[in-house]
Amino acid sequence: MIGELSETRYWMYLLLLPSLLLITAVVLYPTIYGIQMSFREMRLNRPDLGTGFVGLKHYQRMLNDPIFWLSLRNTAVWVTFAIILEFLIGLIAALALHRNLPGSRIFAVMILLPFFLPNVVAGHMWSLMLDPRLGVINDLLLKAGLIDSYRAWFADPATAMAAAILVEAWKSFPFFTLLILAGLKGIPTDLYKAASIDGAGPVAQLRLITLPMIKTIIAAAVILRVIGLVNSPDLLLVLTSGGPGRSTMVLSLFAFQTAYRDFNFGYASALSVVMFILLMIFAWIYIRLSRINQE
Amino acid sequence: MATLELQGIRKSFGALEVLSSVDLELEDGGFLVLLGPSGCGKSTLLSIIAGLEEASAGDILVGGRRVNEVFPKDRNIAMVFQSYALYPTMDVARNIGFGLEMRKVPGPERVEKVRAAADLLQIGHLLDRKPAQLSGGQRQRVAMGRAIVRDPDLFLFDEPLSNLDAKLRVQMRTEIKRLHDRLGTTVVYVTHDQVEAMTLGTKVAVMKEGVIQQLADPQTIYDRPANMFVAGFIGSPAMNFLDGTVETEGGPALVLTGDGQRVALDRAPAGQGARVIAGIRPEHFTLGEGSPVRLTGRIEVLEPTGPDTMVVLSVAGREITARLPPRIGLAPGAMIDLGVDRSAITFFNPETGTAL
Amino acid sequence: MTSTLSRRRLLQTGAGVAGATALMPHWAMAQQAAINYWHTFTSQSEFSGLEAVMASFHASFPDIRVTQENIPNPEFMAKVTAAVVANSRPDVTMVASERFADLHAMGALIDLTDRLNSWDRRGDFDDARFASITDADGRIYGLPAFAFVPWMYYRKDWFDAEGLSAPTTYAEFEEAAIAVTDASQNRYGFSMRGGAGGQSFVIDVMESFGAPIVSNGEIGLNRDAAVEAVDWYAGLLTRHGAVPSSAPNDGFRQIMEAFQTGQTGMIWHHTGSFQDMASFLEPGVEFATAVMPAGPAARVARLGYAFNSLTSEANADAAWEWISYWGEPDAAVALLGATGYFPASSVAAADPRIAGDPLYAPASETLGFGGPPPSFPGYAGWSETSVMPLFQAVLIGQLTPEQAVDQMIDALEEAIR
Repeated sequence: MIGELSETRYWMYLLLLPSLLLITAVVLYPTIYGIQMSFREMRLNRPDLGTGFVGLKHYQRMLNDPIFWLSLRNTAVWVTFAIILEFLIGLIAALALHRNLPGSRIFAVMILLPFFLPNVVAGHMWSLMLDPRLGVINDLLLKAGLIDSYRAWFADPATAMAAAILVEAWKSFPFFTLLILAGLKGIPTDLYKAASIDGAGPVAQLRLITLPMIKTIIAAAVILRVIGLVNSPDLLLVLTSGGPGRSTMVLSLFAFQTAYRDFNFGYASALSVVMFILLMIFAWIYIRLSRINQE
Repeated sequence: MATLELQGIRKSFGALEVLSSVDLELEDGGFLVLLGPSGCGKSTLLSIIAGLEEASAGDILVGGRRVNEVFPKDRNIAMVFQSYALYPTMDVARNIGFGLEMRKVPGPERVEKVRAAADLLQIGHLLDRKPAQLSGGQRQRVAMGRAIVRDPDLFLFDEPLSNLDAKLRVQMRTEIKRLHDRLGTTVVYVTHDQVEAMTLGTKVAVMKEGVIQQLADPQTIYDRPANMFVAGFIGSPAMNFLDGTVETEGGPALVLTGDGQRVALDRAPAGQGARVIAGIRPEHFTLGEGSPVRLTGRIEVLEPTGPDTMVVLSVAGREITARLPPRIGLAPGAMIDLGVDRSAITFFNPETGTAL
Repeated sequence: MTSTLSRRRLLQTGAGVAGATALMPHWAMAQQAAINYWHTFTSQSEFSGLEAVMASFHASFPDIRVTQENIPNPEFMAKVTAAVVANSRPDVTMVASERFADLHAMGALIDLTDRLNSWDRRGDFDDARFASITDADGRIYGLPAFAFVPWMYYRKDWFDAEGLSAPTTYAEFEEAAIAVTDASQNRYGFSMRGGAGGQSFVIDVMESFGAPIVSNGEIGLNRDAAVEAVDWYAGLLTRHGAVPSSAPNDGFRQIMEAFQTGQTGMIWHHTGSFQDMASFLEPGVEFATAVMPAGPAARVARLGYAFNSLTSEANADAAWEWISYWGEPDAAVALLGATGYFPASSVAAADPRIAGDPLYAPASETLGFGGPPPSFPGYAGWSETSVMPLFQAVLIGQLTPEQAVDQMIDALEEAIR
């Protein structure tokens, strides 16, 4: 029976079945469940409202919700600047580590430490370091003469987002370091020798050899980090809770608060679906632009 | 085009000395081959000439100008790597023109020069391909194109043919020779392949453990190796070595240590009773009784190669190889007498290994 | 599928154990029972209080092993909600008054009415103590472990130097805050909680100005009074500079540190932080306690309770022993000794260590006039995700009090719609 079946052309589909089921169970089902929830009334603290189908109600609300638009804008700022910083610091760190200077092995481990810290721990650590009363950063800046009195970085809308982005960059640049370093290891040293004979200085070598050679890795790292940045509210939750006012309110935090403070899972799901779609669009355009799948 | 002069070049990595006092001179338009086994320091020496590594001591002069402190890009040299080192993200045209691009050569002039170099190397039709789309031989040509397009004072080749298959290697070897004849640029060429060294070089420096063993034209190296290392390294099959003692009484002769065979010589390389090593190349044996100098041995293996038959035989407890004509009708196990061209025997001091 | 199955089995087992207990209590309790307890104790003194209660409980019930788990307040509702949705609930959960409505609505809590009615210490507790854990049908879902009795701390030494006494009204409060402020010395009148958790004070101030959230069962805000309240409260920072500029991001830790390190002269909190304060400043000399000042329309003090509620049927009997143990005077006094948290039991409150200490007098006074916090489904979310950021926006000058209050009213309507 199985012997006969294995001769048919359906056999390969049968072999794919287990993994298909697994994907359906762990990826597809939750995604679809989340999407259908966004079309329902789902307020955990209001069982009286039921869980009926409400069509596009949540999406219509979103269009007219100033907090949504503000969060969207803040998310763009948050992601863009965090990515740029993380990439630049990560690249510099990777280039430095790649030189194999004495002690770079220890540095490599030390540089990765922030990445191993849970976001909540990193958040509390930095909120202490940036504390307006006890913070060591204020102390250092004051001694360096850069500020003339202790500042409450997270209480001022002009600095709260920037401070949070710096903390985020500190937390996640090792991700870029790690991936870029792996990419650098794959570039033959002969290329740099050839380039230096050809007359390319360090900047030209970076621009014309190193970066094009690790383009795919950078693209993958950027996509992964963007997804992470868009989706995880925990660092901002600890540092600012979206404040002061709503100056650091981002979409993930808004969805989180809608779900776990207002218990409105329907609206929170709609917000998540929009984030999901925005990420898909971003990834598609980005892959197009960086042409990583052409080689 | 320029002369190259190295004076007392040393290089050490910590306690490890990889080059100890290298001196050499290369005339304008010369083709110097640095030959030696891996780890002999030849590639390090090339890197020092290129400026990719710094010498621990000594001077490098290109065209009479000391270039120790000059950056690689300003030494006006070009280099071809074993790995080709083509830039994978650039097409062939840009690869070839990269040096010109970096030197801000204007676009049209660049295009023209790249085109000329590509045509010379017969890769004009590949200009818009990426390196990954090329065969090994094509990549090799691109790498050479990149070197010649800049019209440098000095070409440096670092084992450029090692990654090619045997047939292509022979072909490209000829190509390089033709290119050198045509362009007349001074060349330094690193290889571990003695055939490349013999065929290409106007001068060969045989290196071992960071020291140049002999620097001479290829024929001299072959005919009059300075020591046993050079003698053994050059030539294939390798030179045969036999231990013996010099006798001057009753006409100069060599008595083999293993079995007491007496080989008559035309002159004594050393005094009575001196121990020496005789070096005889395989082609200096002849079959038959015509020669006054004979060696008797037992045939171990016969290796016909077509034009020749390599006969491995044991003489005085040593294994030696003789290059004999084809179709000689011998069989393993038989004892034969071989004639020796005694003018071609090289004698070495067994203690120092240097030629007498 | 598996979770419902195992839950059903657990329920059956639970019922079986309950039946067996009725017949052979000693045999049943001899079975080792393990329960877990989710709570929001955070500070060191709170933890030592909890450990004291756990130790004495263990001495009385050696067969019940209590595993405690601290859930920080900001994560509490998310974690409990997730546990309820995933049906991986703890046995006992600490439920603060203002969280009852939401947790009850999502079905997280189990009815304790019957157990309470047959409990021999039920008489130690006034009926009013259960008001904020009782649903519309009169079912009770928790037993008060201790009370949050709000009061204020002030720097007695600073006030003495300025010739001030404890403020009794908002006007006096404002005056005192301004008087002890000396920005050049980095000294401010008041530790305003403008960050996480500060929403309840904004709501209290609004009610003090005559804008209660719930009046006569109606939910809503009196706009004019609320605007006046927000304007006055934010004005402490924006107009008078009597509050550290970090206020919009100052949560519990920050306001406590500000007071304890001598940056601020007054702070609103509850009795639970008394022992903590006393470890930094000398009680009665450097700091003293006072009743919350009265606003122009009312004097508001929220008598909240921390209830222990049953959230899983699995080990209901063992869990009930733990819940009811918190009502023992021994446990209540042990907790008070470590923290300052006021007992909810009248018997425990009569303990001489409380009744005889003048620093606790404001707390006893507050018990006389204080009332329960507002409670309706959506209240907690609205206060945290709307009141707090909108008030912050006033503090940092992004919104006027009028704009902020208008948005609070809109959001309130949205929340209860």
